[in-house]
Amino acid sequence: MRTNEHGRSLVVLICGVSLLTALGHGQIYLPKSAPAQPSDFGKVILDNYSSPDGPGPVVFDHWLHRSKFTCRLCHVDIGFAMEAKATGIRAATNEQGFHCGACHDGKRQFGGKSTFAACSGNGGGKECKRCHSLNKSGARKYEYKSFTAKLPKGLYGVDWEAAEKAHKINLIDSVEGISVKRAPMQTRPDFSIKAGMPWVHPIVFSHEKHAVWNGCELCHPEIFPSARKETLRDSMFLNINGRYCGACHGKVAYPLNNCSGCHPRGPTWVDSER
Amino acid sequence: MFKPVMVVVVLSTGLAGLGGIPAHGEPIPQTAKPASQLEAWHREFDDICSRTEDAMTYTPTELEALIRRCDALRPKLEKLDETRRKVYLERLRMCRGLYAYVLESKRNENK
Repeated sequence: MRTNEHGRSLVVLICGVSLLTALGHGQIYLPKSAPAQPSDFGKVILDNYSSPDGPGPVVFDHWLHRSKFTCRLCHVDIGFAMEAKATGIRAATNEQGFHCGACHDGKRQFGGKSTFAACSGNGGGKECKRCHSLNKSGARKYEYKSFTAKLPKGLYGVDWEAAEKAHKINLIDSVEGISVKRAPMQTRPDFSIKAGMPWVHPIVFSHEKHAVWNGCELCHPEIFPSARKETLRDSMFLNINGRYCGACHGKVAYPLNNCSGCHPRGPTWVDSER
Repeated sequence: MFKPVMVVVVLSTGLAGLGGIPAHGEPIPQTAKPASQLEAWHREFDDICSRTEDAMTYTPTELEALIRRCDALRPKLEKLDETRRKVYLERLRMCRGLYAYVLESKRNENK
């Protein structure tokens, strides 16, 4: 009996040490927690050049812009990088009609409303606060709760796909003078991706759903760099670390712990005959 | 009343004021110019990158030609001012990357 207890303790000790060692060497990835509030998905605080003497950090609400524009318009046509500090937004670039200023020029109209001019110096500083709004109560014009009140919701805030299907939102995909005029998209067929682990049903990947918002060049080759299928092997660990699907899911789209979002048939033991 | 010389001076000044003398400082790019008024590099950029949506329909030879055009355009974009250089080089990189990706995928299909 006593030998058994010692043996068990030894096994537990070895497992514990192995686990800690693996964690320490980055061999095991723990999922990064998704944003706590739906309004925080994709929220960016821009504080590269605006502090301490300037008007203060900019708060960028991803939800507000994604309710009006496709991902591609901003991340391809206008050139907003998908990683922090890579775009190089400055007041001067906005004034020249790039970055925020590509749309926020005081002239363009979306939904019948004129945009305000970013970094134009007009408005006696009042307009500055619309973006440079960190810790400034009441500075922002739109609040998540009231703005999204009529949009369909899912577990993780607004269900954008359902919102578009129901014509609650109509995403703009091009801006004159900025976007390149393209031919209508030749949608690629949906396909399934074999799961890396045998207890999970395959992923059903909808090319159509993704391409309609992202275009082709937002995902290929930057996020999915190789056309060879075998390169996606073991990608769940990489997803959790922000690569592949994790480049968006968990940051601006529903998080990776929403397993059924990608593996709609779930684990194999639930119902393998479905 | 007016002497002919005065008329010429007034007219010349007016015409120059309307558009003949360039303003000082960095020119601010116009956002919505007709294609015919765009600079050559911009027209070439638009033509190359307008084909991304149907990249999969191109043959490997056509894709290779598009990639070559991207490579030829790059040095021209490198001569632009800082902001335009950064924005358009990045956009060109994405177009080129997609064409190279599709080309690789087509070559894999044929193996």
